[in-house]
Amino acid sequence: MTTNALLLAPPRVKAGRARSALVWVSEHLALVILAVLFLAPVVFVFFTSLMTSQQTLTASLIPKTWQWSNYLDVFRTVPLAQWFGNSAIYAISSTVLMLLSSVPAAYVLAKIRFRGSSIIFGAIIIAMLLPPQVTVIPVYVMWAKLHLTGSLLPLILPNLLGDAFSIFLLRQFFLTVPKEYTDAARMDGCGDWTILWRIVVPMARPGIAAAGLFSFFHAWNDYFGPLLYTSENQAAWPVSYGLATFRGAHGTDWSITMAMTILVMVPVVLLFFFAQKVFVEGITLTGVKG
Amino acid sequence: MTHNPARPRLVLAAAAIAATTALVLAGCSSDGGSAAVGKAPKTLSGTVSLWHFFTDREAKVIQKAVDGFEKENPKVKVEVHTGQDDTKLQQVISSGGNVDVALSYSSDIVGNFCTSGAFVDLGPYITRDKVDLDDFPDSVRSYTQFDGKRCALPLLADVPALYTNTAMLSAAGITAAPKTLDELSADALALTTYNDDGSIKTLGFNPTLGFYENSPGNFSASVGAKWLKDNGKADVADSTWPEVMTWQKALVDKIGWDKLKTFTAGLGQEFSASNAFQTGQVAMQLDGEWRTAFIADQTPDLAYETSPFPAATDHSELYGSGVISGNVVGIGKGSKNPELAWALMKYLTTKTSVVVDLANGLKNVPTTTSALESPDLVVSKQFTTFIDIAKNDKTVARPSSPLGAGYGQPLADFWTKWQAGSGTGLDSGLKTVAKQMDNSLALVEGP
Amino acid sequence: MTATVLESERATTPAPARQLTRRPRRRPRWAVISMLAPAVLGLAIFFVYPLIASIFFSFTRYNLIGGIEFIGLRNYVYLFTQDPQVVQAALNTLWFVVILVPVRIITALALAGLLARAKKASGFWRTVFYLPALVPPVASVVAFVFLFNPGTGPVNLILKSIGIQGPLWFNDPAWAKPSLVLLGVWVMGDIMIIFLAALLDVPRELYEASSLDGANGVQQVRHVTIPHLAPVLFFSVITGVIAALQYFTEAAVASGVASGKATIGQGAGVAIGYPDDSLLTYAQWIYVRGFGNYQFGYASALAVVLFVVASVFVLIMMRRVGAFNPSEAS
Repeated sequence: MTTNALLLAPPRVKAGRARSALVWVSEHLALVILAVLFLAPVVFVFFTSLMTSQQTLTASLIPKTWQWSNYLDVFRTVPLAQWFGNSAIYAISSTVLMLLSSVPAAYVLAKIRFRGSSIIFGAIIIAMLLPPQVTVIPVYVMWAKLHLTGSLLPLILPNLLGDAFSIFLLRQFFLTVPKEYTDAARMDGCGDWTILWRIVVPMARPGIAAAGLFSFFHAWNDYFGPLLYTSENQAAWPVSYGLATFRGAHGTDWSITMAMTILVMVPVVLLFFFAQKVFVEGITLTGVKG
Repeated sequence: MTHNPARPRLVLAAAAIAATTALVLAGCSSDGGSAAVGKAPKTLSGTVSLWHFFTDREAKVIQKAVDGFEKENPKVKVEVHTGQDDTKLQQVISSGGNVDVALSYSSDIVGNFCTSGAFVDLGPYITRDKVDLDDFPDSVRSYTQFDGKRCALPLLADVPALYTNTAMLSAAGITAAPKTLDELSADALALTTYNDDGSIKTLGFNPTLGFYENSPGNFSASVGAKWLKDNGKADVADSTWPEVMTWQKALVDKIGWDKLKTFTAGLGQEFSASNAFQTGQVAMQLDGEWRTAFIADQTPDLAYETSPFPAATDHSELYGSGVISGNVVGIGKGSKNPELAWALMKYLTTKTSVVVDLANGLKNVPTTTSALESPDLVVSKQFTTFIDIAKNDKTVARPSSPLGAGYGQPLADFWTKWQAGSGTGLDSGLKTVAKQMDNSLALVEGP
Repeated sequence: MTATVLESERATTPAPARQLTRRPRRRPRWAVISMLAPAVLGLAIFFVYPLIASIFFSFTRYNLIGGIEFIGLRNYVYLFTQDPQVVQAALNTLWFVVILVPVRIITALALAGLLARAKKASGFWRTVFYLPALVPPVASVVAFVFLFNPGTGPVNLILKSIGIQGPLWFNDPAWAKPSLVLLGVWVMGDIMIIFLAALLDVPRELYEASSLDGANGVQQVRHVTIPHLAPVLFFSVITGVIAALQYFTEAAVASGVASGKATIGQGAGVAIGYPDDSLLTYAQWIYVRGFGNYQFGYASALAVVLFVVASVFVLIMMRRVGAFNPSEAS
């Protein structure tokens, strides 16, 4: 799929030379202009992060003095390192737990037929498609009675019991593992767990990686969940909640806030650059197969 | 797919189980009845948690008071949680968290917490320890109880008044701050300057509802408008609200709504150094007494004066009074050490030296008469205005309601839309607002 | 999607299944159970139970501290006849469904089309346009509100320099939702990338064949490209509508930051919907009523109504799926 990406697709086999040059220029001009427009917000945020607080309140685009110390001040003003830590704990543990619980379930739903499998799968589809606000209140009451609010646990623990979207996704990928392989393994006397571990998982690695990535980012970017469960306890705030909420009694200091925003963007972008292939493959596979 | 005949029964069973679980989980709340309290302990020891909403500079002031309490009771340790607003307090208390002493942002929480039991009934404690309730001014005392149950004590109050920029007023030839709404309008227009393109450069007074402290409640004092009738139903349609609303709308129209909107959108954040009054973009502003502390901290060179907010011309007897609201302290339902919590609460709210220190540090109005009249109270020239308003016997507080702050929302929403429109439909609009308030209250309280 | 996949499964494996059941070695049941148990338990606790409990709570008055009080249909009466803001919340949410989703999809498609034609460095362009989608939504909203500040933000400054008086963006009720649409367009990289892959997946032969038949560009797009993209388009519509129905974060954060109100003390609900309830979405209204005012009974009623509406959407869309056969797409 990725190699395909470099192939040129469409039309105009017989366009004239001059016309095709004009088309090429206008297309690339459009791309450049759009790229500038798309990157501009990040550039401006970066510029603002280097301004002094006073300058951010005035109408100016370029910092007069380049106050790089703002990036250090961020850590002094807000417990940003702690927030990043919480985000990491939330994202990593929920992804790991999700994989542990969802991969086997997806395997069963993809490969094994039994009475009730369609009911369960149907329930998963509905669970996946319904807005979380529909179920959020009784679940909150439950966690409140268990005295677990004020922490990330209500957000992490449910992953022990599977995640609807991930199960759906993984099932779609597992369906593509040819039956011959699993049949052969069964003939050799392998049990389901062995088949899953030895055959299905290695063959569906891109899919599993994609599901893991989705889960990671869903947790990393989650605002509503932390709003509900961690707002009362500042020590448990992840980055997504802290960035939106931390406004001291003196109002928003925009240069610090913009520096925070850049710092929040950096890990994600870095992760993308390192895992680009996995990223793109996973996301396109999801979209095309979903 | 074969239809399992057991399925309908399965669904019913599931529903029954779910319903039972819900009931059991919900009913697990232990009955926080007002049990009789035992004798006061001789020495205090243990850990007690204090939850409040202050941060930064203001949190330090609270900490100093807390340190004093720990010094007086060496066996006691106070665990302070800062930055806890009302929503968070509700969350923690209702999920059974260990909240011993809660300092709430406003008295809005009282109606709700008293009825639901989230704040413990203080009656028995007050009687046992012979707390002098008369030391609290009437207005302040009224908003710490609901329906006969007192579940909170007041701790420092907020009073809004008019701030005026001395330099800008004298430059425009205005010698004294306006005392009536008509004078305010005239002065506001005189003080407004424009840019070359017609947009507003500096504004005399920003009447926009929703801007900073411009709320219906704060404007109500000018005409003595009431929220609720004695029977608990909304009084919005029958009280004097139309008077102050028409005044506000007239000023908005004279300035021009579009210009006003554009200008307001570009103003700085209320609690930062870019506050419009502190930067001189607005010459006169309705604001609370805490503004004196912010100015001293952020823009100490600003020359300004304070005076009571103007009253309507035909309500001149109201001039000098205002609306008062404040922070309240209560003992959370889940408190494991209510005696210790009560001791800390008494210390913070009734001990004159502590109240005075807190008032000085936070630049809020103290809530006990002893503190109001204490010689240790640092009162700048500008702060005297607020003390006087707090002591004025016509000063009122917004009545408590189980809806909390929510019940003022319909009027605020209506007024916000109405100020931008043609100015018609005031009476019918207020009738609708009254009905909405009654409906909301009915939903929460019951028929 | 489900039905056709299951059907294709059945279609290809009837014989072997029967053979397997005749084999002497039984498939151990416990493996299946152990694999499914966590997920089934999860469904029961976090999906089935809350759904039924929400319906149950919607007939009560409950604030978590006191007890549960049955009040029958009173919540629903209030919801449909007396709640002054629920209509606005529902309309706002619907606005996002009807406008945000198509705008994002169309711009993503157009950009993917443009990118599909770039030969060299297409990976570079793809990265540039995809990066904004990676940014955590909270960060992008905070950034956008600042950038679109009517007085001091770069957007209006640049507009002013070319002589246009910029609107008040996030502070103007008429412009607040469109501003969020702009944000949605900025982050459309996530669906653009899927469209790009699907576009590049169209076999060249199909284009060449239709070109030989005399089809021009537009006809090719209509008869070759779009049908091939159908499943992917459909996927985007479904996920887009689902996201729009639960739209919360961007609107709530935008309101909070744009209103400039101190959140200390008054909580998250103080600026909800700013400006003028224009950004009040249904999901936020559930949050305010439930977690702001602690009216869990009423909030549950709101949630049940959302459930019904969302189910209707889902059912309509699942019907439509039958029309598209995903096996053609690769």
